[in-house]
Parts: sequence; C-alpha cells; structure tokens
Amino acid sequence: MTPQALHIKDLAKRYPTGVEALRGVSLEIAPGELFALLGPNGAGKSTLIHCTTGLAQPTAGEIEVFGHDAINDYGDARQAVGLAPQELNIDWFLTVEETLDYHAGYFGMPKRERRERTRELLETFSLTEKRDERTRTLSGGMKRRLILARAMMHRPRLLILDEPTAGVDVELRLELWHYVQRINQEGTTILLTTHYLEEAEQLCDRIAFINDGQIVGEGTSAELSARYGVANLEDAYLALVGRNELSRSHIEVAAQ
Amino acid sequence: MSAAQIRFATLWRREVNRFMKIKKQTLGAPLLETFLYIMVFGAALGSRIKQLHGIEYILFVIPGLIMMAFSVNAFTNNSSSILQQKFQGAIHDQLSSPASPLELLLAFSLGGFVRGLIVATLTFVVSAVLVGMPVDHLLVLVPSLFLVGFFFSQLGVLTGVRAEQFDDVAFVQTFVLQPLIFLGGVFYSAALLPQPFETLTRFNPLYYMINLVRYGFVGFTEVSVPLSLLALTAATGALFAINLRLFSRGYKLRA
Repeated sequence: MTPQALHIKDLAKRYPTGVEALRGVSLEIAPGELFALLGPNGAGKSTLIHCTTGLAQPTAGEIEVFGHDAINDYGDARQAVGLAPQELNIDWFLTVEETLDYHAGYFGMPKRERRERTRELLETFSLTEKRDERTRTLSGGMKRRLILARAMMHRPRLLILDEPTAGVDVELRLELWHYVQRINQEGTTILLTTHYLEEAEQLCDRIAFINDGQIVGEGTSAELSARYGVANLEDAYLALVGRNELSRSHIEVAAQ
Repeated sequence: MSAAQIRFATLWRREVNRFMKIKKQTLGAPLLETFLYIMVFGAALGSRIKQLHGIEYILFVIPGLIMMAFSVNAFTNNSSSILQQKFQGAIHDQLSSPASPLELLLAFSLGGFVRGLIVATLTFVVSAVLVGMPVDHLLVLVPSLFLVGFFFSQLGVLTGVRAEQFDDVAFVQTFVLQPLIFLGGVFYSAALLPQPFETLTRFNPLYYMINLVRYGFVGFTEVSVPLSLLALTAATGALFAINLRLFSRGYKLRA
C-alpha cells in the first residue's frame, strides 16, 4: 500500500507551561492532495506543523511523512518536507541567493544542482534582480517570496505553507495561487493553513477544521457546510467557533 | 561528497561566513585589542619589569594574550551567532533540516573555533616577527590551544542556547569570563601574589589553561602539564557531552 504523504495519529503536545496545544490529533493526507487546515488563532495549526517539521517535540502520538517516521528517525521525513513558515524568519546576514543556496545545502543538494535550482526559483519568484541584496533590505512581499522559494529549494514532496498569503498584496496572492496549483498538478502534496476561507475553498481538495487542539471536522467544502447545516464554508467555520451571529448569509440574501 | 557531508559543510560554512561578513568587528577589533595589550603590558610595563622567572616579561605575557584571544573569540562568536539566529527565527531553517544534533552542535562550535584560531594565529605570527616569540613545546602547545579553543566554543554554544536576551551573553562574558581570564595569570605569575590570592588562583580553571599555553611557547609553567592537559580534556569532553544532550533534547531550540 502506498504510504500517505502525511499520517498523524493521536498527536498530543503539551508545552512546559502546561498549555495543551494538541489533544489527540489524527490526520491523513494522501499523496498529491492539496489540503487546507483551518482554525482560529491558537487552535494548534502551527504546533501541528512544528511537530511535523521537528521544530516542536510531540508529547505523544506518531507522525509519518511518506511512510518515514518524523519524530525519532526523522532524516528521510524531513528531507521530504518543505516548510514556508508564517513568520518571516530570514537570516539577516545572508543575501537572497545565499539564503536559497544554504537551505539546499542543509538538505544535502550538490553545488551544481543548487546553482541551477537557485536560478530557477529566483526567476519564478521574481527575485533575480535582488539576488545579491542582504535579506534585511527586502520589502515584506519580497521576504514572503523568498521564504516560499526557500521552502521549494530542495524539491520537497510535501510542501507546508503556514499562512503564506497573510499580509501580501493581491498580485502576489494570485501569483502564489497559480504557483501552488501548478506544483500540485506536478505532483507535490500541499498542506496549507490560511485565514482566508475562499483561498482554501478555491485551492484545496479537502479541508480540516482544528479547534482547541482537536480536529473537529474534515471533508470537502460542501461536506463541511452540510455537516454544520449551513450554506457555505464561512458559516461552517463560524458554527465551529460558535459565532453564528457574524454570518453574512442574511446580508447576501437581502442583497438579492 | 555525500549528502551528509554537503549538509555539514554548509552548516559550518554559514557560521564562518557570518563572521567573515563583519570582519572589522569579528577579526579586526580583537586583533587591535590584543596589540593594545601587548603595547601596554609588554612594551610600557615590560620596560620596567624586564623578567619574570627568568623570561622576558613580554614573552611571558604574549602566550596568555594568545590564549585569551582564542578563547574570547570562540566564546563570543558562538554565543552571539546562536542567539541572533534564535531571535530572527532563522535557526529554524537548520533545525527543520535532516541534520542530527551532533552535526548541528559541531557546526555551531566550529564557527567560533575557526574565528578564535584566526585571531590567535595572526597574533602569534606578528609576535614572532616583532619580538621573536619562540615555540618550545609544540606537542604540548597544539593540543592545549586546540582544547582551549574547543572548550570555549562549547561554552559559547551553551551560553547562546540558554540565553534569552543579549544581556545573558554579556553577563557571562563580562562577569564570569573576563575576571577569570584576568585573574588567571595572563599578566603576572600567581607565585607573586600574597595569600589567600595565590591559593585562590589555583581554583581558577583558566590558570591551568594559561600555564599550559605558556609552557608550550616559552617552556615555563607553575602547574603540572600532564595533569592540566588531562583535566582540560575531561572538562572539554564533559561540556561537549552536556551540549550534545541539550541539542538532542532540543533544549530552548525546539518547543
């Protein structure tokens, strides 16, 4: 049987402060899927991503990436994952080109391949002109592009995008959507977290809702709406967080 | 090169590249500082003191200064580099790679080690040219300097990992390292100190390191060379083991 791109079972994470960020999360993402993880701030999205990429250590449970253990014998699992984090965590001492080159080096890519891949991604993300600039001089949008390019450098089979469109302009958001769809069609599995529900709806095959450290709903946008007995994904989300009074459905009905 | 070799070389290259990009601060300043010490303690004070234990005062002082340059630079580099990367969050790029705790620890350690080695070597070369600095016991000098450099690289890594703000690093450097170095006998012989300071000096680990390096250069020591080497090896090994355990547990690096 082909292993899942991401297999998470009974994942729990309790921080030393006592906060239980994840409480028995189980999740399966098939190879080639474009999967969205939605939930309010503090629901556990980033913790789940950090546990998958080694930035946080789970208290219990298991994580496998394409059948490789991501917690203890993590070498192959990490090799298969690319992470574009929510925060703009770029090394100020490096240039744009070095940022990409070093990242690929951390993943063991030979020099010639690094050079070619860097050139390709600088072009894709419109960063070629900025290649020799120190990262701290870049605008917010450019930094976001660089983080996405960095995540793609080692050709990960599973790409994790943690709120990739937060604070970016319309142009970059659409560019990013096109790019995400293209690499997904080329075979890259994608896990996306976002607060823009239309983004999840338009891009993703399946969606999971996470709240208070637990997966509370999973399926297509239509399945989730049906499950909560509402008209659309936004209302399903509002039902999840118990804020139905914010629904815009009645406004839309009145407008019609 | 295998993938693991490329990974380690890149991790290490990043650390060296960081200090090479700010050479004025990371290499220029410590070199200037060392030469100011040589000027003040060697040339000015040395003209009055002449000799200590039958050794020209400037030759007595320079080994300690070389050791000091190596240790302070190894420590400062690693503690600053790790703390900066933690602040920026940039360290997540290395931490989410397939690199093992051992690879990460060694790469972070070697950055400071190389910086310390460069400053110490340049100081020695200039001293050899200017005042004819001898090397009496190369086979003691090389392992001693290597161990001293590695010990302080480890201490820098430990401090950087534990630190939550730049004040934490400055505290260790100013209130722990600096006094231990200055009171460890860089500029004087402990035998000249009145009691209880002479005895107290013997509890200072830096005293043994300075004596080892001084023995390597000019052949004079106030302590047992084999015992000091053994103790330094044990201390360096212990510190490395502690760091490796912290890296394996992800202490203050992974949530």
